[in-house]
Amino acid sequence: MTLSLSARNVVKRYEGVIALSDGNLEVNSGEVVALIGANGSGKSTMSKVINGVVVLDGGQLLLDNKPVHFASPQAAKKEGISTVFQELSLIPQMSVADNIWLTREPLDRFGRVRRKEVMARTEALIALFEGTIKPDLKPETPVSELPPDEKQIVEILKAVSFDPRLLILDEATASLDSRQVQRLFELVKKWKEEGKAIVFVSHRMEEIFRIADRYSVLRNGKTVGAGNINEITEKDLIKLMIDKESVFSYTRSESEKAEKPVCLEVNDVHADTLKGVSFYVNEGELVGIGGLRGQGQRDLLLALFGDIPFSGSIQYRGKPVHFRHPNQAMKNGFALVPGDRNREGLLYIRSILENFQLPSWARYSFPLKLGKARKDAERAGADLNLKMAGLQQPVSSLSGGNAQKVVIGKWLLRQPSLLLLDDPTKGVDVGTKAEFYALLTRLCEEGKTILFYSSDDEELIGLCDRVMVLHDGKIYAELAGSTLTHENLVAASLGVTEGGAR
Amino acid sequence: MKRFTWNKLTSRYPALFALTLLVLSVLINVILQPNMFARDTLNSNMRVFLPMVILAAGQAIVILGGGIDISVGGIVSIINTILATRVGLEGSAETMWQYVAISLLIGILAGAINGFFVAYLRLQPIITTYATSFLFAGVALFILPNPGGGIPTSISEFYRSSIPLGLPLAFYVIAIILLVWGFLRSTRYGNFLFAVGGKAQAAYETAVPVTTIQFSTYVISGLMAAISGIAITMLSGSGNAESGSAMTLNSITAVVIGGTALSGGVGGVAGPMLGAITLGFIQNIISFAHIDTWWETFAKASIIVAALAIPGVINLFRRRRP
Repeated sequence: MTLSLSARNVVKRYEGVIALSDGNLEVNSGEVVALIGANGSGKSTMSKVINGVVVLDGGQLLLDNKPVHFASPQAAKKEGISTVFQELSLIPQMSVADNIWLTREPLDRFGRVRRKEVMARTEALIALFEGTIKPDLKPETPVSELPPDEKQIVEILKAVSFDPRLLILDEATASLDSRQVQRLFELVKKWKEEGKAIVFVSHRMEEIFRIADRYSVLRNGKTVGAGNINEITEKDLIKLMIDKESVFSYTRSESEKAEKPVCLEVNDVHADTLKGVSFYVNEGELVGIGGLRGQGQRDLLLALFGDIPFSGSIQYRGKPVHFRHPNQAMKNGFALVPGDRNREGLLYIRSILENFQLPSWARYSFPLKLGKARKDAERAGADLNLKMAGLQQPVSSLSGGNAQKVVIGKWLLRQPSLLLLDDPTKGVDVGTKAEFYALLTRLCEEGKTILFYSSDDEELIGLCDRVMVLHDGKIYAELAGSTLTHENLVAASLGVTEGGAR
Repeated sequence: MKRFTWNKLTSRYPALFALTLLVLSVLINVILQPNMFARDTLNSNMRVFLPMVILAAGQAIVILGGGIDISVGGIVSIINTILATRVGLEGSAETMWQYVAISLLIGILAGAINGFFVAYLRLQPIITTYATSFLFAGVALFILPNPGGGIPTSISEFYRSSIPLGLPLAFYVIAIILLVWGFLRSTRYGNFLFAVGGKAQAAYETAVPVTTIQFSTYVISGLMAAISGIAITMLSGSGNAESGSAMTLNSITAVVIGGTALSGGVGGVAGPMLGAITLGFIQNIISFAHIDTWWETFAKASIIVAALAIPGVINLFRRRRP
């Protein structure tokens, strides 16, 4: 059961681009090692080297002090190494149970799958997360009907069902709410005590300090530091990751906040998961939406953008509006950065230029003004500090943070007056997050109004003037000024206490 | 149970749409042909439908696995021409069974060729099988340039009029296919098939033998096409290199009507088989309605387009309401 794995001086190239030039990682049974690094630092590649998804070009992998070579994920699985993938490895049309036990179904003597046993085993796994997931997550539910957080949980259960010696959690908490993260960490502690080794890849500092025993930091494909987590501070860790310290200076200057006119007034909006939401947003205000995942935040933003049908009234700059198509919202200066950027925010395999121009192509056609389009896109890219080889590169070649910049950039080209953001910093590295915070603050100062949902509580507290907490399709609490504290936010999210002034 | 919608029903029971359509077409058919449940009428209908039912079952397997097989009609033609030329009208029953066995092998071989290109060389299924369909059609034309040949009358008579225990022979064939599918569906292979058709990359990462599964679907489809070719030869008693050419598109239509998504990973085999029977009844309705021959294809296509559009129209209607 015990295991010690050590990767030494690992080199990995993708078509000439060096992803890892000197990657090192050591992990032993009974400990949690945090693998940390900004996006593009090579930590995804590092975990893929360990679990056999990619074959290394140089360096050495030692398992229990013997050199090993994993030609495929199966070879690594045989040694007891299992991974929770960031890009989910689930088959949407198949049931939860079929997904978890795929390729390891218990068979009867005719070769038929023993359904009852599969269901019972799956029930037992689901019970691990009992209380943090909706009761309609059943073994026979098709995965496509699950919300993102529950899909992620199924992915975790799938990896755990292998009873691995080494479990790799690659951004496994990115789409989980705080209660689910809490449960996962309890489980990780239990697994650790049982003697499993765990590699934890995450962008969230707070989580790393909560769960990890040791850390290993990658920067530009090199391991730049490793050690015990209780011997380093958050600040030093960030310094190691990005080589510049200015990250957490995003808090807005408490400047004059004169009463501005009301920009958006929402009254009793009902939609799929919304059960009567009313609020207002002033011009130039940055208002946060908080709460556990799946409490209606997504539907609220989609309804405002005219993407889903709803009932209720919305006033925008004094005029009643009821958008039935995103096009109408766009014409009124609305912009939406959706929650699933690869599927909803981008034409994933198309070029950066095309993605930039998508919402504003009408401005560059009849007659076709390709030169101007290119120039504008280049300027937008430069404004956002977009790291790219060229505008013709497909968006799929960009890292998460840079891809998100393209989503925001395509809207900024239209000069929107109201931005709706659905968890824009999900899966984005610390350095880029800081840039986003600065950008949002700047946009507000320019007079733009922002409605901002985030699953990261610290972000909401540090950035927003006001935070509305959604719970079960309603606004449960509104926090501002002195009531806007982490404690109140968490309490209101869970719907346990009357948090904050109403 | 507020959300117990048509959409959810059809996603859980993909064959439901095919069943509804089948009931409708049978009803219309009964009006036009009141004696259709008489044993002889039923038998004469079913023996005509059977080759398409078999073909649709094979096509459904390929489509479930995320591919498509445009070459099935070509395989049917090859089998038809081989049987008609090698066995002959004066042939003995032994030669016939011998060539039935050879036909099955040829079907498997043809399927393996498709499977090799698509699964191992990773070529586009639609283009690859479109190309091989010409290859197969060419072979059929080479074997039998002009319609003719045949198989012993006794054998086609056996196919056409044997009704064991009072039920048409076709029912037994359909029952066997359904039983075999039911078994396959409950094995690990069944799970793999849906996994590969659903999301091949994810299946690969989970150690599903994606290539082997893809390959196998084309082999199964080739085998089913061969059986279909044997059936159509027994039905007609003669050979024609064009006999299969119109069947390919119908087999795909049957699959779609049967609720098996062209994108793969959703549906089953029973639905497409019902779909094939429905197509047969639609053909019947057209013939009984005394529509001018020139308009037959148009009328048939209109019915199919309308049938395919219904779920979409229902959806559109639902979405309009807040």
